[in-house]
Amino acid sequence: MLKTEKVVVLRNSRRGHVRVVRELYLREQVPCFSSLCQGHCSNEGKVLPGDITHYVVPDAGVVRDFLEVLEFQELRGIVFTQTACQVVQHTRGRRQYNRLKSLLKDPRHDCVLFCNEFQLYSYCPREKGETQEKWHTRCVYRAAVWYHDHLAGLKPVVMITEDQHAVAEYNRLTSGVYVISTQEYLQSFWPDLQAAQELYISIAQVLQERESEGQEREYAEHLPAEVLEAGIKSGRYIKGTLKVNKHRAQQEAFVQADSSTKNTELSSDVLVWGMKQRNRAVHGDLVVVELLPRGEWKGRTIALTEAETGVEERTGEEQSQPMPTGRVVGILQRNWRDYVVTFPPWEEVQSQSRNSQRILVIPWDRRIPKIRISTQQAEALQEHRVIVRLDSWDSTSLYPNGHCVKVLGKSGELETEIQTILMENSIHVLPFSEAQLREMLLNSKENLWTVEAGEVAERRDLRTTHLVFSIDPQGCEDVDDALSVRILPEGVRLELGVHIADVTHFVRAGSLTDLEARSRATTYYLADRRYDMLPAVLSADLCSLLGNVDRYAMSVLWELDAKSLAVCKVWFGRTLIRSSYQLCYELAQSLLNNESVEVPELAQLGEVDKKKRLKELKTALEQLTKVARYLRTQRDRGGALELEGVEVRAQLDAEKNITALVPKQPLEIHETVAECMIYANHWVARKIQETFPQQALLRHHPPPCQEHFSQLMDSAKARGFDIDSCSNKALADSLDRAVDPHDPLVNRLLRMMATQAMSNAQYFSTGSCPLEQYYHYGLALKHYTHFTSPIRRYADIIVHRLLTAAIKLDKGMEPNETLASNKELEEIAQHINNKNRAAQQAQKQSIELFQCLYFKDKDPLTDQRCVAEAIIYAMRANGILVFIPRYGMKGPVYLKNRENQVVSLRNDGSCEWQAGMLQRYPDRICTITSNGIHAFSLFDHITVRISVQALRCHPDSLCLEVISDRLQEVAKLESLAAGKGRLELVQEVVRQAEAASQQVEEQERVPQLSKEEREYQQSKGPNLYCLLQEVRELALLDLSVCQGLGLGLQACIKSV
Amino acid sequence: MAGLELLSDQGYRLDGRKPSELRKVQARMGIFTRADGSAYIEQGNTKALAVVYGPHEVRGSRSKTLHDRAVINCQYSMATFSTAERKRRPHGDRKSSEMSLHLKQTFEAAILTQLYPRSQIDIYVKILQSDGGNYSACVNAATLAVIDAGIPIRDYVCACSAGFVEDTPLVDLCHAEETGSGTAVALALLPRGGQIALLQMDARLHQDHLDPVMEAAMTACRSLGQVLDGVVRQHLQEVSILTGE
Repeated sequence: MLKTEKVVVLRNSRRGHVRVVRELYLREQVPCFSSLCQGHCSNEGKVLPGDITHYVVPDAGVVRDFLEVLEFQELRGIVFTQTACQVVQHTRGRRQYNRLKSLLKDPRHDCVLFCNEFQLYSYCPREKGETQEKWHTRCVYRAAVWYHDHLAGLKPVVMITEDQHAVAEYNRLTSGVYVISTQEYLQSFWPDLQAAQELYISIAQVLQERESEGQEREYAEHLPAEVLEAGIKSGRYIKGTLKVNKHRAQQEAFVQADSSTKNTELSSDVLVWGMKQRNRAVHGDLVVVELLPRGEWKGRTIALTEAETGVEERTGEEQSQPMPTGRVVGILQRNWRDYVVTFPPWEEVQSQSRNSQRILVIPWDRRIPKIRISTQQAEALQEHRVIVRLDSWDSTSLYPNGHCVKVLGKSGELETEIQTILMENSIHVLPFSEAQLREMLLNSKENLWTVEAGEVAERRDLRTTHLVFSIDPQGCEDVDDALSVRILPEGVRLELGVHIADVTHFVRAGSLTDLEARSRATTYYLADRRYDMLPAVLSADLCSLLGNVDRYAMSVLWELDAKSLAVCKVWFGRTLIRSSYQLCYELAQSLLNNESVEVPELAQLGEVDKKKRLKELKTALEQLTKVARYLRTQRDRGGALELEGVEVRAQLDAEKNITALVPKQPLEIHETVAECMIYANHWVARKIQETFPQQALLRHHPPPCQEHFSQLMDSAKARGFDIDSCSNKALADSLDRAVDPHDPLVNRLLRMMATQAMSNAQYFSTGSCPLEQYYHYGLALKHYTHFTSPIRRYADIIVHRLLTAAIKLDKGMEPNETLASNKELEEIAQHINNKNRAAQQAQKQSIELFQCLYFKDKDPLTDQRCVAEAIIYAMRANGILVFIPRYGMKGPVYLKNRENQVVSLRNDGSCEWQAGMLQRYPDRICTITSNGIHAFSLFDHITVRISVQALRCHPDSLCLEVISDRLQEVAKLESLAAGKGRLELVQEVVRQAEAASQQVEEQERVPQLSKEEREYQQSKGPNLYCLLQEVRELALLDLSVCQGLGLGLQACIKSV
Repeated sequence: MAGLELLSDQGYRLDGRKPSELRKVQARMGIFTRADGSAYIEQGNTKALAVVYGPHEVRGSRSKTLHDRAVINCQYSMATFSTAERKRRPHGDRKSSEMSLHLKQTFEAAILTQLYPRSQIDIYVKILQSDGGNYSACVNAATLAVIDAGIPIRDYVCACSAGFVEDTPLVDLCHAEETGSGTAVALALLPRGGQIALLQMDARLHQDHLDPVMEAAMTACRSLGQVLDGVVRQHLQEVSILTGE
């Protein structure tokens, strides 16, 4: 059968060395994964192409230290040996190893793994007295030779190594197998790939420097892994993720204890105070902390701190109750990503250090410490934003070491800033590649796409039998859902249908488009642009359920009892539909209200015909509304939290006193459509969960943590409201009651706080979660998933595939695609969750960026637009937090400045700085000055002035300053008249940026980078469309999104 | 060090086997002439020695005697040098008495005990080197020894272990896999009839996964049965040449 060999491995165990004997089975048939294979290898999956000039086999040392260089997609035909992979796993830890594994899986990258140690002829046992490194190199060389022989010498094989002796020893040994150093390889084979060479040099420099280092120790050494393990088990140490406080990055960091921690008396997070105690841990790392004795415990700071201060010591009075405090004793898992940093100006660099090659750069993210990098380009890169990767942080060094990866551009430019935001959220969007677009079908005038005959036979044809229509925001181009409703012939049953674009028909599992969509996971909406998940051919044309064209759809049809509206039968399946009407929300609502409106689809028809068709449509809409109302009440009875629906409404409530254009309530039709979508999602979730109890993708919303509601309750109490958060229903009811008749904003703020207290809804795989946790708290549904927007969410695509497989199984057929296993699915779910969070974060940050750009060139003292009304919603020791409804933003207002002066009020309400003191109560804060005592209490309306604080290394921030404690009439009037929304704000900034770039072009100093990036940007200008899409998204609930997106809402409603 | 990757993406296990491949099995019968039957087996690096005495009169207290069938007495032990760290292993500790009991149950199901009423059969098994799958090596060695002793049995008793890693059943686990995977099923099968003589599992395994794991283990047992059959035939040939028949 097989040949047995035995290997003796010396391994380190708890005490000293133990001799472990392992077997090793060698075989002749190990797949080589090359398309040129001359033997009969069973090459499944990724295969190296034959059309390249050579194959390259990196040595173990190269893979260990220079993996980043090998990650360049331009480097093709890389054969990783098993030896090298194992070296990475043993020396660089799991994270690096996973990175290598995902590289091997990535179909866009031409590299394969060759299991050389299981191959009979390429395996070589370690010789006596041979060092490990030498042995590894020899193994890799043998593998390279084998590879060359196996392909019968068709391709030259290049082995790259860092070991000069190996080059000398092996280079001329076998013809066709070349051994050269990495640098030589890059220079002679890839002279055009400047970036790879630069990266190589910068890593090599770092490695060299690490060797030459060795000063006095700055930090305590980390404890060895076994000690940590034992400490965690015994409860002496606590394991958790380190979170640095953004506002006090130098001092405060918290460790959120793992659920597995045994220390039960620990009620809250552990505070880690100061850089020394943090002991080289970086935000996001998985660390082990040891608690300090109770006497040394500190409280967290509750004062507001301005961005640039934070070094000075604060006295104890501004701290809260002492909380568990600890110090980091070890780091289990680094969680370093790529960071964007800014180079300091050249003068500063020169004064900074004697040795000008090493400079300290400041990360964009405040939570990351300064990074030391060595580069010769410091002068050229001053005030540029650059991507940097961290390499190490030794106990002898005050700052971590890193190296440059890529230059983004000069700080302050719009394109640079947007790229920075994308990078900081780990979003990588390149334009769709040639190969991906080649997969797409064409649909043009000459080459019209038509329905295929084979598909017609397989699908249920609804083109003639059903009246299908879509309701979307005005100007929507990717219509992914359509509805239908009709009375079945016998008259006792009603049939409701939800038809979703059949994206999976066009996007086959495993195709390049599919993989790209998976890695994007969602369409990214930024303030001024969007990055689509699918190429435009699909999203705006072939998949989109446009009016009066035949389209494939995935449908859910319910047969309801016409009287009781109870579900009698559900049908899922693929269909062929032709949408008769492409309505927009307003039009549909007007039709429902019996207003006479013109339906564009009927414009050409005769009078009689028109009336008949109109009546038909109206009846359908009425029936739909009836069903949706019923569904809603049913869900309410189950205890549905109406947060999301009300959230939309609340957003609008604020608007209604500003502009008359905005409807007081969202249209009922919004809710109707949303309700149908929720219903479809719910039923699909049930179906796939039943068929695949182990591997269905669902979405759950865990109940929130009760402690998070304390701020909400305290604030509500200030106004005399009582908030009950024991269940979702109780919360919804109590929020409904908490309405101040004089001030609609109070309710809105309370709801905002409630939303903030919620946990995020998340995707998960059913196999990895107990049944009780499937519950969706916000919607009060036992099962929920996302099914209705496959054009812009990858989760929906997976759900479509699951549903297709489930339908096939019902018919007794085997599904033709193998479904992802529970483990894979859970990985995908986590990935999508991460990407969604990143997308939200990026959107929020881009909006903040635009806000800052908008206010940047306004003079705060003269420009009326910089003065706005604000509402106090929380108290801090030296200031208050306010919400500005006009611009939809939140921010701190300081009542005490750095000279310890406080705000005092004159009789007319205007403010000035004066010596005095502050006194803080739960519901108000008092300033005591010679002018008397003045109190700012919760939910007071004040007037603030907005100005921009420009910062070089970090994103600019807005600075708020109180100028009056009452509403200024001017401001109010002005806001009534102008009512500037965010959309306009975005437009203006974009216009300015374009004008600026044109100016630059005229001067013939075209910044190359920004031009390039303008090409990559996929859609230009402000897009109303995306905001409108978000309105619907809101209604479908993502509580987490509500906050960020709700803000965008005012603008878009208005422009509708 | 990062946890061991028990099954690589390419579908190889730590030692280069595929999930459904067994370790190399080598066996010899009739190694001690003084005993009635004896056998030695190597399954990869797990090495076991089995010796059978009997059937003979019941020794010790007569009260154990059964009047309709033979008593089977099993004793399992591990050599002090069988593991990576030398360890004194006294007789009758919990683990080995449990193992003895398992062996006893297995062979009571296989040996035609009713042919030898009021007598006793002793099976002694010793693990010389342990590298996972001790129980299965013991059962396989004991089967060969019982056959060598000429005691009638229903069928070969073949045992094999199986685990479950990354949604794939692995058979014939080595030590690293046994400790790393968490789940290990030991299964003893009478291959011809397909009866299960013993099935044992201490770890948690989802109900849905039990069937594939058992299926894999049973397939492995069947192929082990063929190997054992080959060993017995080989032995017979050698013996018959020696006796000159």
